[in-house]
Amino acid sequence: MKVILSMIGLDSHTTGAEVVATLLRDAGFEVVYLGTNQTPAMIVDAAIEEDADVIGISLHASNFALVDDLMDLIEKHQLTDVPVVCGGHVPPQQIERLLARGVAKVFPPGSSGNAIVDYLAGLACRA
Amino acid sequence: MKYATDYGYEIKPVYGPRDVEGLEYERDLGDPGRFPYTRGYHAQGYRSRMWTRRMTAGLGSSRDTNAVLKKYREMGQHGGICVIHDRVSSSCIDADHPLARRENGVLGWPGSSLAEFEELMDDIPLTGQSITVLGCCAPSTLRLAYVVALAEARGVDLAEIHGSVTESPFGNVFGQTDVQPFDLDMKLFLDASEYIVRNGIRMRAGLVGQHFQESGGNNAQALAIELSMLKEICGRLVAERGLEFDDAMRVPYQLVSIGTRFFEEIAKVRALRRMWAKMAKEHFGAKNEKSCQLLIAVHTSGRTMTYQQPLNNIARCAIETLAGAMVGCTALDNATLDNAYAEPSALAARMSLNTQHIVAVETGVADVVDPLAGSYFVERLTHEVETAAYRVLEEIDALGGLVAAIEKGYIETMLKREANLKFQELNSKERLVVGVNHLVIPPEEEMFQVPVQAIEVSDAEAIAKRMADWKKTRDMAPIEASVRRLHADAEKGDRFNLMPAIIDAVKAYATAGEIMGAIRLARGLSYDPFKLIRCPYEL
Repeated sequence: MKVILSMIGLDSHTTGAEVVATLLRDAGFEVVYLGTNQTPAMIVDAAIEEDADVIGISLHASNFALVDDLMDLIEKHQLTDVPVVCGGHVPPQQIERLLARGVAKVFPPGSSGNAIVDYLAGLACRA
Repeated sequence: MKYATDYGYEIKPVYGPRDVEGLEYERDLGDPGRFPYTRGYHAQGYRSRMWTRRMTAGLGSSRDTNAVLKKYREMGQHGGICVIHDRVSSSCIDADHPLARRENGVLGWPGSSLAEFEELMDDIPLTGQSITVLGCCAPSTLRLAYVVALAEARGVDLAEIHGSVTESPFGNVFGQTDVQPFDLDMKLFLDASEYIVRNGIRMRAGLVGQHFQESGGNNAQALAIELSMLKEICGRLVAERGLEFDDAMRVPYQLVSIGTRFFEEIAKVRALRRMWAKMAKEHFGAKNEKSCQLLIAVHTSGRTMTYQQPLNNIARCAIETLAGAMVGCTALDNATLDNAYAEPSALAARMSLNTQHIVAVETGVADVVDPLAGSYFVERLTHEVETAAYRVLEEIDALGGLVAAIEKGYIETMLKREANLKFQELNSKERLVVGVNHLVIPPEEEMFQVPVQAIEVSDAEAIAKRMADWKKTRDMAPIEASVRRLHADAEKGDRFNLMPAIIDAVKAYATAGEIMGAIRLARGLSYDPFKLIRCPYEL
C-alpha cells in the first residue's frame, strides 16, 4: 500500500508528519513524504504520478480551507477512490466539517501509532 | 513508568551527600550575581526586577492583533509585548501573493509592511516595555527596520527601546521553516545584529532553543544546541563582522522551552547559565562580566498542552510556570489551555497570564533567589545534564560547529530519532500523559468545549485584498529608488550590510516581498521563492 504524506500550504510544523512517516514505513507501508510548501494541486499531481492508495495530510490548527481545495481537486480528477486522511491539531468542529466534506478520517493529537496503522491496514483490505 | 531523565540518565529513588561529592560552592555555583552564575545574575533576584510576564499575540489583521495587545495590557501584561508573524510574512512574501490568500493572519500577525507595524503598534508605546516580535528568521531585518522607522516617526530615541525583533536562522532547521535559503537568512541575521551593535541599539536577537525542543529534542541536546548556536553566532560576529566579543554578546538572548519534567527543566536552565559563563570566558575571552550572563527567557512548552481534556493544561502550565520562576528567568510567555486547538482565546490568555501573576505574587517563590540550590537531587541533575550536553556539544564541534553539523545532516537525524523515541514512549506507556494514554475518557465525556479562536477564509482573503488595494495607493517613485539601491547594495557581497538600504525601503513602504525579492535577485535567485510572480520593477 502506497501512502502520500504531505504538509499543506505554508505550514512548517513537520514533526508529526515525520513521526507518522517513520511509523508507517516501519509497519511495511510504502510512504512518499512530500514535505513542506505543498499546494493542493501539487499533492493531487503527486498522488496521480505515484498512483497512491491513500493521501495523508498533516494539519496544525489551521489551513482547513486548503483541505477543501484538495477535496475539490480530487473530485475534479475523479480520484475519489483515494481516501484522504488528516492528522494533527484539528478542533472537533473542524473534524465534523472535514468528514462531511469527504475526508475519510481525522486523527487528532495523542492518537496511538496502532490506531493509525490499523486504520490504514483496514483500508488496504478494502482496496 | 520510566525512572530516567529525558536524555536517558537513571533517576534514583533518593539522593544524598555522595551525589554531590565533587561540588565546590564557589567554583560550581557561586552566590547569585557571581561567576559562574549557576544561581543567577542578580543578588536580589526578582526583588530587584520581576520577570516580564507576557503572552504571545498574533491572529487576524494588524488591527485585530493590536486589540489583543491592548486587552493583554488590561490583564496585567505591563513588562513587554510579544507578537508572532503569520506564515506568509514569516516567509517574506506579501499578503496578496497567490499562495497567501488562504493563510493571511493564520496563527500570526500579517506583518509584511511598515503600514502593518504602524497599525499593530497604534496607541501602544515603544518604550517602557520590551518589544518582542517572533516568527522565523527571514523577516528579522524588516522587523528591526520597522522599529527604527516607527521610532523616528514618533520622535522616540532609539536607544530607549528594548526587546527583540530578530531571530537566528537555526529555527529553519527546527520546524520554524521560512522559505528563504539558510545562507541568505544567516547573512541578513548577521547584518541586523551588526547594525544593532554599531548603532548602540538595545534590541536583542533570539537564539531560540525552544524550537529545537518543541520539535522533539531532549534537555541535554537542547542545551548543546543552545550553546552551539551562541558559539556560531558570536564567532561569526567577531570573525566576519569585526566586532569585539563583548560588543557582540550584547545581542543574543536564549529562549528556552520548559516542559512538565519539573526538576529536569530547572537543572537545564541552571546548567545553561554555568556552561555559557564558562564558554564566554574560556572560549571567547570575555573581558566584561556582562558577557558571561546569558539573558534567558522561557516559553512554557506548547507541545505538552494536550488536545484531550484541555482544562488539564492549566495545571501543566502552572507547573511549568513555577519551574520558570524558580529558575530565575528574565521573561516568560505561556502556552495556553487551548494550544492544541488554535491561537489563545481571551479566556485561555487570561488563565495563562493569571497563572504567572499567581506564581509571582501569591506563592512566595519570587521572594528568594534560586531556592533549590543545594538540593542533592537538583545539583546532581544540573551536573548530569551538563555532562550529557557537553558530550553532544563535542560531537557538534568535531563536525565543525553547528552550521557544519546541520549541513552534514547530524542535527536532523538526532532530532528525528528523538521525536520517534518520544512517540514510542507514549505508545508503550513508558511515559504517561493524563487524558492521552492514561485515564482516557471518551470524547462524549469531555465536559468542557474549548472556545476556538480561529479566523475565517474570508478574513484571510480580506487581508490579501487590502494589501493589493493599498499597494496601488503608494507613492511609487521613492519605493522604486529604494529598492534599486537595495538591489545594488545586495550585489556587493555577503559582508556589505544591507540594513541601511532595507530601512530606507521600509520607510518608503516597500513590502517584505519586494524587499526580499530585490535581495534574492541580486543573489541570483528568483524574485519570488515560489516562482509564481515576477519582479514589478526594472532592476
